[in-house]
Amino acid sequence: MDTHAAHGTEHGHAHHEIGFIRKYIFSEDHKIIGIQFLFTSIIFLGLGGILALLVRIQLAWPHAEIPILSDYFKDNAGRMSEATYNMLFTMHASVMIFFVIIPFLTGAFGNFTIPLMIGAGDMAFPKLNMMSYWILWPAFVMISFSFFVDGGAASSGWTSYPTLASTTMNAGEGFHSPAAPGSGHGQIFWLASLLCVGVGSMMGSVNYITTIINMRAPGMTLYRMPMTIWAMFITAILQAFALPVLTVALILQVLDKTIGSTFFMPDGLTFGNWSIDAGGGQPLLWQHLFWFYSHPAVYIMILPSMGMVSDVIATFARRPLFGYRAMIYSIAGIAGLGFIVWGHHMFQSGMDPRLGTGFMLATIMIALPSAVKVFNWLGTIFRGNLQFTTPMLFALGFVSLFIIGGLSGIFMAATPVDIYIHDTYFIVAHIHYVLFTSSLFGIFAGIYFWFPKMFGRMMNEPLGKVHFFLTFILGNCVFFPMHMVGVAGLRRRIPDITAGALEGRLLPLNEFMSISALLLGTVQLIFLANFLYSLFLGPKASRNPWNSNTLEWQTGDPVPGHGNFETVPVVQCGPYEYGEHGGKDNCPQTEKCAVPSSH
Amino acid sequence: MGNKFWSILFGVVMAACFIGFAISPFMGWWRPDGISSHAGDVDFLFDVILGITAFFFVLTEGILVYFMWHYASEEGKHPVSPAKDFPNVLKPLAGLLTSQHHVELAWTLIPAAILIYIAVAQVDTWANIKYESRKSHTESPTASLQVAVSARQFEWRMRYPTVARYKKWQNDKKSSDAKTVDEFKKDYESFGKVPQADDVHVVNELHIYQDHQIMVWLSTRDVIHSFNLPNFRVKQDALPGKLIPVWFKTKEGKECWNTTWDADKHRYVDGVDPKTGKVAMDASGNPSKEFMYDIACAELCGWGHYRMIGRVFVHQNEADFLNWLSKAEANNKLRTPDR
Repeated sequence: MDTHAAHGTEHGHAHHEIGFIRKYIFSEDHKIIGIQFLFTSIIFLGLGGILALLVRIQLAWPHAEIPILSDYFKDNAGRMSEATYNMLFTMHASVMIFFVIIPFLTGAFGNFTIPLMIGAGDMAFPKLNMMSYWILWPAFVMISFSFFVDGGAASSGWTSYPTLASTTMNAGEGFHSPAAPGSGHGQIFWLASLLCVGVGSMMGSVNYITTIINMRAPGMTLYRMPMTIWAMFITAILQAFALPVLTVALILQVLDKTIGSTFFMPDGLTFGNWSIDAGGGQPLLWQHLFWFYSHPAVYIMILPSMGMVSDVIATFARRPLFGYRAMIYSIAGIAGLGFIVWGHHMFQSGMDPRLGTGFMLATIMIALPSAVKVFNWLGTIFRGNLQFTTPMLFALGFVSLFIIGGLSGIFMAATPVDIYIHDTYFIVAHIHYVLFTSSLFGIFAGIYFWFPKMFGRMMNEPLGKVHFFLTFILGNCVFFPMHMVGVAGLRRRIPDITAGALEGRLLPLNEFMSISALLLGTVQLIFLANFLYSLFLGPKASRNPWNSNTLEWQTGDPVPGHGNFETVPVVQCGPYEYGEHGGKDNCPQTEKCAVPSSH
Repeated sequence: MGNKFWSILFGVVMAACFIGFAISPFMGWWRPDGISSHAGDVDFLFDVILGITAFFFVLTEGILVYFMWHYASEEGKHPVSPAKDFPNVLKPLAGLLTSQHHVELAWTLIPAAILIYIAVAQVDTWANIKYESRKSHTESPTASLQVAVSARQFEWRMRYPTVARYKKWQNDKKSSDAKTVDEFKKDYESFGKVPQADDVHVVNELHIYQDHQIMVWLSTRDVIHSFNLPNFRVKQDALPGKLIPVWFKTKEGKECWNTTWDADKHRYVDGVDPKTGKVAMDASGNPSKEFMYDIACAELCGWGHYRMIGRVFVHQNEADFLNWLSKAEANNKLRTPDR
């Protein structure tokens, strides 16, 4: 089972010329597809970032005119309208989750690393792989176009709860919604584009599972796979089981919005003077279906980062990964528990409170495998020989800030405490510690780490370190005070915090966070400049610039061609043989290990 | 940059985060005073989790920073070999630390025990708060104050029983006549579901009184809203198509009333400091917000979500509350009630 077929060699010797379009655009090569995912994700990261900055501007200066864009808001005296604000945070979250983090992790890194790190020539289904990328393009077009439709883009939150999101006019009265301006056409585009993204992820996950099971190089047993691959494998399984549920939910809401079905619409809804005739549905059903996918999706957005960070830390600590098997079991544990905790998003939703107790117990237990992972990373750098390269810094930053994100999760898991902090900025702090300072830090680590393998050039180290230095400080300046304002009672998703009696006193902290956010956004230009400069003018990379053990660094050329390996690699040892190895401090997986470590 | 630089950066930033959280209560960036009977339990559990997580935050970040400092590579330093370089403080533990199995077991079982403690500690409080609303309160010594709250974009509409009906509940409940008690139960339990023509309607003002339990019958006629009283640690989504009970009680033995009759304005005003009996003022002479209690919608409900805010008026006692209710009732009769 663990030896692969002749697939790699077959491609490796096929030196027939292929044209530019087949090679770089409609490519079947997993590396090119991965790079395509990478580029589109970086572009959408920019878009999502700009949306976030607009949100932050409104939060800090709720009554001020918006600079530059004041013409766009001239109906509102140059100020941002409340509906626009709702649209901005909705689209910020949707773009960042579905068009940035997931495509980065499973699309870019999943595609690029899986065949290379298991010693395969390509994915099991190269054409399906190509399709998993190109099916995203309708989604890109629809989500970008939705900003310009009547009523604006979706504005019911990335969670799109009915009946706010799903209400539409009676048949024949058009697709405007009496519930909110953005829940008309914009919401339909949102649903349709997410459907495409989901189908794309589904194709990817089927492909990853098959590739990892069937196409490993000789000697690459399951317990010799690097953590990146384990994480991608388990993530793909999560996606394959959870995505169908989201797909169904999306289709049901599309039907509610277009042909007038009422899956999520109960009897007797009245908006102003406008009543809906039909009913009989259940708004809570959407929440169950949505979170049954979207809670595992949270792990889809963090597990691959955890895998990549494990590899980066072991490489630059020059130490074997501490507790390799415990790391695998804890990823599997997080994924398994991830399926039975979706209800913790719904403690205050009106579901039976007795369910809350069960969901709480399962949720709190997820902290356990997460804690084990943190301790194991600490165990890995213990007695190491730490080399603070840019990827290592981002990886250590990941560990440091994931601790905060993990610990703050326990507050929300505790049902009575959640009564108070549910839907406050405390949860906003938590999700950003997990997604920005953890997932995205993992992504940055991955980009700096595999850039030489992707493009054959090195990224600039001093610039990378400046990027890390500023991102680490400013990231904490933006997101840490959110814990405090959350505890102080600041609700999320409000454009003007001075409306109530309780929240207005927090405006100075909001201003501090927003200024930090604007700086944080600007700092990312350093990364962009470094990325683009290094792409064309960076110093040429050697085959294995980090002296890493895993297979992708053992290819013949610095940038392997289609087919990856000249000859099928034969794996002789595990991926983490760092430390004393006969005068060297590592032993690549293709070599027989002189001093095998004890595990 | 020097090899030790990065550990210092991590240490400084994490210390800053810790200090930021530690000074928050003194800067006013903290939860407002809890004035419901269960607020103390919620806050206690928050503080328990805060204590435990703060400990593990310091422990893990401390270890990370120390390792980053201690094991930073030096120019020309040979790769470390496994048997050497134990820091002195850890020498006694060397036997344990070289056996991965023991370490893994230790750092799995200890957090597991702590997490189970955290989880079990929540169960009773959650039950006391949320299950209470599902019980019939006809058996309790005094009848709860029942209010039906109907949410809509973007306001809260409250429905109260009339003064006469409310007084009748309190009297009939204590009656020794079984038939009277039965009728009381029937009428009392019908309040949430069946509106009466003479019910008292008020917008965006929830009036309750000290030392008394409140039963809110929560519904919405359009989208999901969330009935959120941060000062009372109460939060419950209103779900289209459902009538959801919410139960809470003002804190026993605590002076937390905040409203008084203002003859000039000819209405009850909130923001009253119970110590002075007058509307509290801030330093610049404007009414202070310290004693104003928001009903702030906590679930996104459309463009006006942020300003879907009502206020809770806590009366000093039943008499003061009934005084308000009779005025509201009189006022109500002058208007054509809408639905």
